[in-house]
Amino acid sequence: MSERLRQHDNVVIQSLAQIGNCGLFLLALLRAVPRSLRYMRETVRQLWFLGAMSLTIIMVCGLFVGMVLMLQLYHVLSIFGGTSASGMVVALSVYRELGPVVTALLFAGRAGTSITAEIGLMRATDQIDAMEMMAVDPMAYVATPRFLAGLVAMPLLCCVFCAMAIFGGHLVGVTWLGIDNGTFWANMTSVVEVRTDIVNGVLFKSLAFGAVVSLIAVFQGFTTPPTSEGVAYATTRTVVASSIAILALDFVLTAFLM
Amino acid sequence: MSQQRSSYAVGTGLFIVLGFAALAYLATQTSSVANVHQGDSYVVDTHFTNVGQLKERAPVKIAGVRVGQVQSIDLTPGQDVADVKLSIDKRYDHIPLDSVATIYTSGLLGDQYVGIDYGSSKQLLAANGTLARTKSSEPLEEMLGKFFGAGGVADDIGGTYTVTANFSNVGTLSPGAPVKMAGVPIGSVQSVVADPLKLNAKVVMAIDKRFNQIPDDSAAAVFTSGLIGTQYVSIQPGGSPDPLKNGDEMILTQSAMQLEDLIGKFLVNGSSSDNKGAGNGGK
Amino acid sequence: MTDSVRATPDDSTLVRIRGLTTVLNGKTLFDRMDVDIPRGKVTAIMGPSGTGKTTLLKHITGQMRADAGTIVVNGQNVPELPREQLYKLREGIGYLFQNSALLTDFDVFENVAFPLRQHTRLPEVLIRNLVLLKLQAVGLRGAARLLPSELSGGMARRVALARAIVFDPMLILYDEPFVGLDPVALNQVLKLIRTLNHTLGITSVLVAHELEAVKQVADHVLLIANGKVVAQGDPRTIASDGSPWTRQFFGGEADGPVPFQYPAEDLGRALGFAGAGK
Repeated sequence: MSERLRQHDNVVIQSLAQIGNCGLFLLALLRAVPRSLRYMRETVRQLWFLGAMSLTIIMVCGLFVGMVLMLQLYHVLSIFGGTSASGMVVALSVYRELGPVVTALLFAGRAGTSITAEIGLMRATDQIDAMEMMAVDPMAYVATPRFLAGLVAMPLLCCVFCAMAIFGGHLVGVTWLGIDNGTFWANMTSVVEVRTDIVNGVLFKSLAFGAVVSLIAVFQGFTTPPTSEGVAYATTRTVVASSIAILALDFVLTAFLM
Repeated sequence: MSQQRSSYAVGTGLFIVLGFAALAYLATQTSSVANVHQGDSYVVDTHFTNVGQLKERAPVKIAGVRVGQVQSIDLTPGQDVADVKLSIDKRYDHIPLDSVATIYTSGLLGDQYVGIDYGSSKQLLAANGTLARTKSSEPLEEMLGKFFGAGGVADDIGGTYTVTANFSNVGTLSPGAPVKMAGVPIGSVQSVVADPLKLNAKVVMAIDKRFNQIPDDSAAAVFTSGLIGTQYVSIQPGGSPDPLKNGDEMILTQSAMQLEDLIGKFLVNGSSSDNKGAGNGGK
Repeated sequence: MTDSVRATPDDSTLVRIRGLTTVLNGKTLFDRMDVDIPRGKVTAIMGPSGTGKTTLLKHITGQMRADAGTIVVNGQNVPELPREQLYKLREGIGYLFQNSALLTDFDVFENVAFPLRQHTRLPEVLIRNLVLLKLQAVGLRGAARLLPSELSGGMARRVALARAIVFDPMLILYDEPFVGLDPVALNQVLKLIRTLNHTLGITSVLVAHELEAVKQVADHVLLIANGKVVAQGDPRTIASDGSPWTRQFFGGEADGPVPFQYPAEDLGRALGFAGAGK
């Protein structure tokens, strides 16, 4: 079908077709979930590769985001004598926006690309066909475990990212810039709400982003032409499409949740 | 291989535990658990003549400790008091009936909350009961005004009775600014024009038709939302039996206070040389 | 016709294809083709590049749908099979891919054990023994812990073969098993195919271009061209049956029924000489 459309060379129609195909792919993916329960081990293995292996980059980035945010806020807020509020602003901005969005962008770059490249290469080297021939459904064995792993890994990674950001903010604010430790925590705990900030902000958003990123990554891997050039393009497309989708979805979710 | 597999499982397990530990950390260390607890609670009715910046879900505190939250803020048409429902944790059900609900501000710029100060009555407040004794939010201007002895004194400009009001100073009030009664918006400012003869500002207000029971001797005042917020017109109901009608003018008005003037007054308080100090506040 | 197609499992024909028609990208690959693959024999499918030999294998396994026709494998019509039964059937078919298609995540042992782990709940000891036996059969028991990236092409193909036979299939499809092998590796693979066929009685279908190798191993040769079976018979005699197809293909002549030119518009017109075509 995309073959026929390619001749039109129409970007809009092609993008629409991509989105449509992606939606159909999602349905196929969800239909394969019951069958993929047999491959629980594979899901766990993917959770290791996509989640646990991304921990380092997530933790380091979280730490620096928290540190730089605190540094910037401190300088702005010191104009108004409101530096004691900086801990709370770090917490709110990280929980509501930066945490889920930056984690998702990093996840797209770290895990999304590896999913796309891996599946693309598996197709290029006939591994997917080989699985079909060994009566193992690639949808249930390859696609769904990665999708589910991404879905589970993202909220967990986002929690770690946020905790590290708070830690980084504390490091700079309290240890370095001399904000009172008690004030830092008290101001934070007085405004952060579990339901709106942590459940809606951290968990819900990151779950949605995790679903979008892993869907795009798996979809690109499965639909790319099985050549080395196709895999390279697909990897790029995963990052671009994921980033756009994350930021657009973030706006929509924020509008609905806040 | 089975060792390799189990090392994945162990590593993944560690990852999941770490993720949940981080979540627990966020939920317990960086937010107050009291904010979550929405267990059994009961509702108490209160009425305030002015809710100021009080918001739904604002905390309700006893002795400074959070015991519940504001469930809803409504203004019943035809009444000039805001109806505020408080949802209070079941554990705190020994509140005396004559306790006082007050709207406090956390610090100078902070959010507002409802504080309950215990009375001495033996009778306890029941669920869905009403706390009759309340103290409203006091706009900063009023507090400062009282402080300087200008409170309650309105500008008497004179003139006819229409739904316009003349102020000697509207500050930064602009068309579209809200008109509030008891802190709840009931209309908006339509136009602000300078009167070339009287040398003051004529403010035309559009008020919601539902609020047609406003006594005709009510006062209009220009207030500021918080210390650095936007300005709005506040209507303080009078006691006249006749309501305001279309085209009426409100005679009792209180102009915007300029923060600079107030602070200036404060600084030269007691110095008799500065007459200007009595400036805009009250003549 | 339908009655004759529904063969019983003890029929001497394992795969019976009738009226197979496939159109791929506007090109007719198969045109009402009939193919019989005898049980317990080694059948070689030969033909010019691009005639759809690999596609034919994929039709047999149900990986590609044909536009028309019946493909009966062991009494079951592949195009009509629902997913579960198709997967059941595939467990009885081994497929050797051109580039081996080993799973790069796993080592040699796990690659061979993969089908067992997915479809059975055998105890680990039994899996280990089965896999080591199959690896012994292809001579790579010592390489059990190597990763696919550490194998040579010939070794990878032997591992893939071990994986394909781990379930003791009734049918093995070899897609170009001799391509890119040095003479030693080629002879090793040849020997394996022959051994598997003779000792286990596995029906084998192989797609190949190497006539010499085919002569050593195949009992039966099918020559496919232009969407039809143009010649078939014993590999030692087929080259001399006198038809123009066999003469060109086995004689390796550059021109003949197989055109040198890919179908195109007239050269004169393509070069811009208006009216030069006619």
